[in-house]
Amino acid sequence: MPFSKGFKKSGSKKTIKAPSQKLAAHEDVKINGSLEQSINFVQDLLGTNVDMVIRRFQVFGKFPAAMLYFCNMVNQTSIHSDLLKPLMYTPPQIDRDSIELDQLKNIIINDALYYTGSMLESNLTALVESILRGCTVVVVEGIGDAFIIETRSIEKRSIDQPATEQVIRGPREGFIEPIGTNIALIRYRLQSADLHIESTEIGRRTKSKVAVCYVEGITNPKLVEEVNKRLSKIDIDGVTDSGYLEQFIEDNHLSPFPQVQYTERPDKIVANLLEGRVAILVDGSPLALVVPTVFSQFYQTVEDYTERFLLMSAIRLARLLALMFSLVFPAIYVSIISFNPELIPTEFAVAVAGGRAGVPFPAVVEVLIIETSMEVLREATIRLPQQVGGALSIVGVLVVGQAAVAAGFASPITVVAIALTTIGSFATPAYNAALALRLLRFPLIIMAGIFGLYGVMIGLILIANHLLSLKSFGVPYLSPLIPGDFQGYKDLIIRGPLSWMTQRPSFLRQIDRVKLGDAGTKDNKGHEEPAPRPATNNKMEES
Amino acid sequence: MKEESTRQITVIQTAAILVSTIIGVGVLPLPLFAVRAADSAAPLITLLGMVVAFIGLALVTILGKRFSDKTIILYSEDIIGKWPARLGSVAIIAFFAILTSLTAREFGEVVVTSVLKQTPVEVTVIVMLLLAAISTRNTITTFAYIHNFYFPLLIVPVILIVALSLKNAEVINLQPIWGSELQGILKGTLTIAALFQGSFILSMVIPSMRNPQKAMKASVWGIIIAGGQYVVIVAAAVSVFGAEEIKNLLWPTLELAKATSLPANILERLDAAFLAVWVTAVFTTLLSSYFLTIYAISHLFRLSDHKMFSFFLLPLVFVMAMLPTNIVQMYDIIENVGRIGLFITIGYPGLLLMISIIRKKRGNRNEGKSMDETG
Repeated sequence: MPFSKGFKKSGSKKTIKAPSQKLAAHEDVKINGSLEQSINFVQDLLGTNVDMVIRRFQVFGKFPAAMLYFCNMVNQTSIHSDLLKPLMYTPPQIDRDSIELDQLKNIIINDALYYTGSMLESNLTALVESILRGCTVVVVEGIGDAFIIETRSIEKRSIDQPATEQVIRGPREGFIEPIGTNIALIRYRLQSADLHIESTEIGRRTKSKVAVCYVEGITNPKLVEEVNKRLSKIDIDGVTDSGYLEQFIEDNHLSPFPQVQYTERPDKIVANLLEGRVAILVDGSPLALVVPTVFSQFYQTVEDYTERFLLMSAIRLARLLALMFSLVFPAIYVSIISFNPELIPTEFAVAVAGGRAGVPFPAVVEVLIIETSMEVLREATIRLPQQVGGALSIVGVLVVGQAAVAAGFASPITVVAIALTTIGSFATPAYNAALALRLLRFPLIIMAGIFGLYGVMIGLILIANHLLSLKSFGVPYLSPLIPGDFQGYKDLIIRGPLSWMTQRPSFLRQIDRVKLGDAGTKDNKGHEEPAPRPATNNKMEES
Repeated sequence: MKEESTRQITVIQTAAILVSTIIGVGVLPLPLFAVRAADSAAPLITLLGMVVAFIGLALVTILGKRFSDKTIILYSEDIIGKWPARLGSVAIIAFFAILTSLTAREFGEVVVTSVLKQTPVEVTVIVMLLLAAISTRNTITTFAYIHNFYFPLLIVPVILIVALSLKNAEVINLQPIWGSELQGILKGTLTIAALFQGSFILSMVIPSMRNPQKAMKASVWGIIIAGGQYVVIVAAAVSVFGAEEIKNLLWPTLELAKATSLPANILERLDAAFLAVWVTAVFTTLLSSYFLTIYAISHLFRLSDHKMFSFFLLPLVFVMAMLPTNIVQMYDIIENVGRIGLFITIGYPGLLLMISIIRKKRGNRNEGKSMDETG
């Protein structure tokens, strides 16, 4: 399997085991039953923090105990009513005086606590770690185990529209930061026992929760294995966003093209999972990763599938055109102007020459200057606060552009060409893919300035060869175009009708490739048939 | 992992490799070669050249199927013994190195003459060679992908040019179909057959094919598509210009592009655009012969990695490309080298096949069905 391609990384790497220097020293210390000693231990490590709360009380009015937590990471109201209260009052079904110390543990777990997420832990360092995670720890004098209660409750923003991937037709929900909410968003769209979500922790200090999602029975197990293998090799102190992971698990670090797709749309993740891909979610990041990624994904949107096929095929073609435009248009412009003006009709060539009459630079310099200033403008518009951004883009594009032409600094046709290119690059749905093409435009312009059309072709061949040699988790980057996959062609340049796509594209090497049942491929006219045939799926599976 | 990653090339990809290897810079002077040999029978002689070339390719294919997991470098040692085979392999390597350099030089001359008139030919040659050298640093699967990807770019422009030139075509120019004089037919046939020599790459591709037993299908299709295009180009050029006129043109195909224009006046002249697109065709040809050379070297020395040779060979090929002093001398060399090369690309495999049949040598044929049924 090509998935088993090795992870290029030197093996002789120093691994740092201890996540925290302080905790490392006390790795195997157990609770010895003494309340004070346990409190002191935690106090030593965490006592200096203002949000650390150590609340002493008596369990059932008899046994001295303490509750430890970070006050801003938990919901204190629920701690008061659901944790402290039942621990202080004896449960009505139990006689207070008859409670012995050795029964206490079971009574607390089985009769007193109202929390589902609670467990026992005897290791002191584990206690500290769970406090750090936002759990509440209850230590009781004389008991060798502490109670860890999952009380974590962290402020989060509400689920709203994905900012970077808006659609006109389609779900409006986007991922938010906490991983639990995100998993829930996926799970309610894919209510299947086959959806597996495996979780690991990455980051020596941040201990970020990373979830690997896939659909068993569709996704190739070797792919899941490869994803887990690459993730397990990551040894970094902190992961604050899924972008960190992307840079560790991608195949080619030097390529300008992204080999991992990110999205903030749960519906997109579900569609990808059903196609046989693997999704990676990171706690604290609203962007999930999808692997393996092929180039065609970067110009497809969710809307392509929710709207009718004919319309979206046309729009997809326009998007593809914009993509090509944003890469080659300035380079072709330069080479035609400076090397082969005979290609364009004479009247137009005369007009171009007239526009360029006062311009002091050769075309390549002119285009490079305008391109660079366009990039600066674009970057500035992104960084500025929203209210000012609009004003700046108007000033930048209209006023400066017009003035540059009037001043004889640039020819009007150059400005038109560059403006078209810039607009074209915004039409690509994936920001990172558009960025790659934007970047590659510059070497192409320079090649065009030196060798004309010949240079542009050389540059394009280099880019194409690079794309052809690129792989994402063992899948050739230009699949399903090269290597050809007939099923994949239906969703490559146009978006074929859903009834055509009876099978999942084969380049992902799924176990189960059948997408559409027998019944689905039929026209709606088929309703006239009496009595539906039983077990329609069997035929497909056999074939 | 290795087993699977080395047997991924499909029949379609193999056919694409053959077509895009055969179609290259040779298309530009092709009508001239054909007309020089047979006047108005030029299309016919092209067909004849194609048949001769197919015999050579068929020999290579049959050999490849007999020894389906070895390249010609390795199985020749099984057939005729170690040292004679190594001699033959060195001849193959040397020939394709020369072919690489001549292809690069020829296209360099075309570019310098028709588009970049002030650029020294050394620059265009080295750019082409560098491009090929960088691209050979890939696996043979990626090599197949590259050919497959550029395949449409070879077919569409030629068909476009031919279709658009039809409005200037005169059927009378093609008559008499049988030609008038017969001397030079043999020489011309061989010259044209030599243009197909890149198809020898098949001997390196077969061991990486998913199903080597289908190689013959690929070679038939490859020859039909590439040869068909050759015939069509020659026919179009002759019908537009006439045999006598072509004898005065160095690159009749390029003149054909110059003489045509797109309807609705989108582009006034097509030759620069045609040449730009034709860079890909030349690139694929160059890539194949370069790849064949270094792949053969790595197999000769029993190395698993061919990448190290790609830049090592570059200065050598470049110097060889610069040896011809002018275009006339270059074309003399190309025609002679091409005809000599037929001994290597047709004679040598023929010899190997004969001996292997006599000595009843075969590679292991337990390669059953396809290794991997999915795409």
